[in-house]
This record gives sequence, C-alpha cells and structure tokens, in this order.
Amino acid sequence: MPDQPVARPQRRDPRAGVLKVVGHRQPAPVLPEHYFRHECGRLVAVLSRRFGVRRVELCEDAVQTALLRAVQFWPQRGLPDDKSAWLYRVALNEVLGAIRRERHSDASVDVDQAEQVAAEASAEEAVYLEHEVRDDQLRMLFVCANPEIPRESQIVFALKILCGFSTEEIALRLFQSNEAIYKRLQRARATLRERMQGVETPAIRELASRLPVVLEILYLLFTEGYSSGQPDQVIRRELCEEAIRLGRLLDEHPVGAVPETAALLALMYLNAARFESRVDGAGGLLILEDQDRSLWDRELIHIGVSCLHRAARGDVFSRYHAEAAIAAEHCLAPTFKETRWDEIARLYQMLDGAVPSPINTLNRAIALAEWQGPDAGLALLEALNPPTWLLGYYLWDATLGELYRRRGDRERATTHLTRALGAAPTHAEQALLRRRLEAI
Amino acid sequence: MSASKTKFLCLFRFPAEPSSKPSSPEEMQAQYAAWKAWMAKFEGEFIPGGPLKRPGGAVVRGGQMTDGPFIESKEVVASYCFIEAATFERAIEIIQECPINLSPDHSVEIRELGY
Repeated sequence: MPDQPVARPQRRDPRAGVLKVVGHRQPAPVLPEHYFRHECGRLVAVLSRRFGVRRVELCEDAVQTALLRAVQFWPQRGLPDDKSAWLYRVALNEVLGAIRRERHSDASVDVDQAEQVAAEASAEEAVYLEHEVRDDQLRMLFVCANPEIPRESQIVFALKILCGFSTEEIALRLFQSNEAIYKRLQRARATLRERMQGVETPAIRELASRLPVVLEILYLLFTEGYSSGQPDQVIRRELCEEAIRLGRLLDEHPVGAVPETAALLALMYLNAARFESRVDGAGGLLILEDQDRSLWDRELIHIGVSCLHRAARGDVFSRYHAEAAIAAEHCLAPTFKETRWDEIARLYQMLDGAVPSPINTLNRAIALAEWQGPDAGLALLEALNPPTWLLGYYLWDATLGELYRRRGDRERATTHLTRALGAAPTHAEQALLRRRLEAI
Repeated sequence: MSASKTKFLCLFRFPAEPSSKPSSPEEMQAQYAAWKAWMAKFEGEFIPGGPLKRPGGAVVRGGQMTDGPFIESKEVVASYCFIEAATFERAIEIIQECPINLSPDHSVEIRELGY
C-alpha cells in the first residue's frame, strides 16, 4: 500500500475540553476537537427525549449514520453553515425511517407520535437550540443515575451515551475488557427498557432527587481518570475533561446549581491544574514534593478557587467541599515546605466526618508528619485498627515505610516498602517505590 | 480544462455488507481530517464529485428496467470524484494516497474520460 495520509496528531492544549465553552461554534473550517464525539452525545440526548429513552439504541444508530454521512459529504462539499442542525436533520430522518419500517412489521407501534414529531421538527427550523440541548444532555445524565442500575454500569452508560465513546474506547480508558464493558452497557439498557417502557422521558425536575447520585457519577468519572498510575496517557485525561464538561452543565442548571456541585467542580479544576506536573520527562510518576509548581495551570487554579468560594454559600459541608479545600491548600502553597499542613490535617478530619474512612486517617497522618514530624503521623497510624482491606492496600505500607524511614527505623521501613512494592498496581508506582527503597 | 491535463473519473467502492465494526465518532473525525488533508494536498488536481444516494439505482437493458446489479453485487459505488492530472500514472499516484486506502475492503476505480 502507498504512503497513507494519516491524520496528524493534533498538538494538545492542556486546557482543551476543560475550558472550552460547551457548544461553542467555531466559524473556521476546522472541526473543534472531539466535535463528532460530543455532537454524538448531544444528538442522542435530543433524539431520546423526542422518541423516548426506550428507543435510545435506535437513536444511537441514527446518529452513527448521520456522522458517517457527514464524513462522506463534508470534505467535498464544505462544512454546512449549521453543522449541528445538518446532523440533526439526517439523524431525525433516520429515526423516522426506522420507526416507519417498524410500523410495517408491527401494527402496534405508535407512529402517530413519531409523525407528529416530524411535523413539529419541520415547523421549527431552528430545532437545535443550545439551551434545549443542554437540558436534554442533563436529563440524560439523570436518566443514567437510575438507582436500579449498578454504579459501574451507570458510569459506562454515561460514557457511551453522553460522551460518545465506543465500547472499545471505554474499555481502553477503564482498563477493562470489551466484554465487561459490553455487559455493563447491556445491563443499563435492559433496565431502562424495562422501566421506561412507553414512558415519556421525565423532566429533570422529577429526577432532582437523583442529584447526589449524579454528583457521585461525575466524581468517580473524574477520579477514574485522575488517580490512574498512567497520568501520561492523554486518553485518561479525557475522562477528567468529560467529568468537568458534564459538571459545568449541571452547575448551569437550576436543579444542579447547589453548593455541592460547585465544590465538586472546584475539586476537579484544582486537581486538573496539576496534571502536567505529575510526570517526569521519562513518564515516571512524580510525588507532590518533587513536582515543578511552575507547571501548575494558574488559570485552572483560579477557576477552581472561585468555584470553591461559590461552594461556601449555605451551611452544607460535603466530601467535595473537604476534598476541594485540600486541593486548594496544595495549589496555593508556594512550596511543599510552606504548605499549611495543619490546615490539611484539619480538613482530612472534616472529610472523615462527611465520609468516614480509614483512608482519611492515613492521609491525615501524612499531613501530621509534615507538620509535626514522623512520630506524630506514626502515632496516629499505630493507634488505628486497620481493616483487612487497608492492610493489603499498597499506600498503607508505602506510607508506613516512608514514615519509618524518616524516623530512621531502617528495618521497618524496608519491610513496609517491600510489601508496598509487591502490591503496587502500576509500573509507575512500582518505580516510585523502588526509588524510595534505594533511598533507605 | 487545461490543454496538458486529462480528466479522470474515480468511483469509490464500498463493500455492500461492511465486515468491520462501525467507526467511533472520534475515529470518524480523524477520517474527516484525513480526507480534508488529502484534498488540500492535491488542490488543483482534485475536483469534487459527491456521494451517491444508496442503495437505489436502476438499470435499463433492452428497454426493460431492473433494479440494477446493486443487490447481488458485493461492492457498491458510494461516491465519486474527478482527478485532473497530466498522466494516468499521476492520477493513480494521487488515489494511492487517498484515505480510502485505510480501509482494506474499499477500492477505487479510475477511468480516463475520453476524447
């Protein structure tokens, strides 16, 4: 085969997607990054509202066809003035065609509704209204948060429906097999088909009680991308960008604009600000102390801090508030040494009040050790009665090992760091622990 | 048409039943970019055609209309374009760089337009 023209990998703006205005239309003949993927999510949401969530698969197929048509038309004919409306019309016709074919084979199918939608669609030319689309996407997010769908299926379904990732792309990002992802998708679809049979897609207001679940989905989506041992992988960062994109949609809607949402956004921005500095030149993982703070994204920190200010309205204090405040302390500290460790230790205690977990104690011990020395940290950990799962967690041993090393207890330090090395999940984390072991 | 150049018709053929799984939106956007880049590279030699409505079409043979070869055929012509190039070899060269080659089950038929 001859030299094939392959799309040149685009130079990546670290803020791409994160800061991009949702639905922003560029007049340039170049498609915005992830345009097709995001448009896919938007179109599926709009069509599912019109035709019912039970028809979501049909809507997905129609959108797929519309995008394929665009790939065939647009390079030769140029981009249409309103790309979104063009895609919407093609997808809408596909859905209507499919429903008409259904009618021929099954008389019970209700086409009147479909035809009414078609008439309605042609009546209002500017059907693809930005604020409507935002509402539709948000509604879909609340549909994903159906309590009868297991949490991991909710996340996978949201990535498929709202973010336009394929099964393979989701599998790659969540380090799971295609089959596992496929099964989770099917599970979510089956539940929705059963529960939403013949039911109109409910309004967001009716689903408002699901807000805590929606926040948790976004939180998990973000941490899934962020806490990976492979932060150098651009594709993992996309999960964080998607969580922020959807978080902003939520934050801009009356139902979602609560202090917890602002706090969640703050924590996402403040952590995303430090993305660039988390790896060294060779792709190794860098701990906070070794990170080049000049690489931290000031603009994202600024946005994060202003979200945190907004989150302080009212008297709610959620885990997102605590975690955002901790991230803010790190972001605003001029150096590692000058970090307000006393404040961080206090915030971990407050976090433990919101969501009790021995992990919070582990983190508080690290802050205490920086503030008052390794003995203070070790005293807290030695007083803790750790559950079995924590004993098998590599960060438990890594922390103990490091604190014993600082105290000068080389024997215990070696024991714990060796154990941590054996349990560390990724190469990057193993490399980091090996460096620690060598430093004893 | 300039005196020294010849026009070629290029017919893009796709398998009637795609064997590979459909592309993801992100992959489709990359394909779009690849096509744009290809057309830009050969600007001046490439003349846009268009896609064909699928799967329709008819064949009239001896005055009788049939549905055409489309149903039985394993490949369908899905779109076309023109290349205006100095030589047939050059037209082949241009098509060899076309992103359609990324899909091994797709093909292009190049025909010189006569006289």
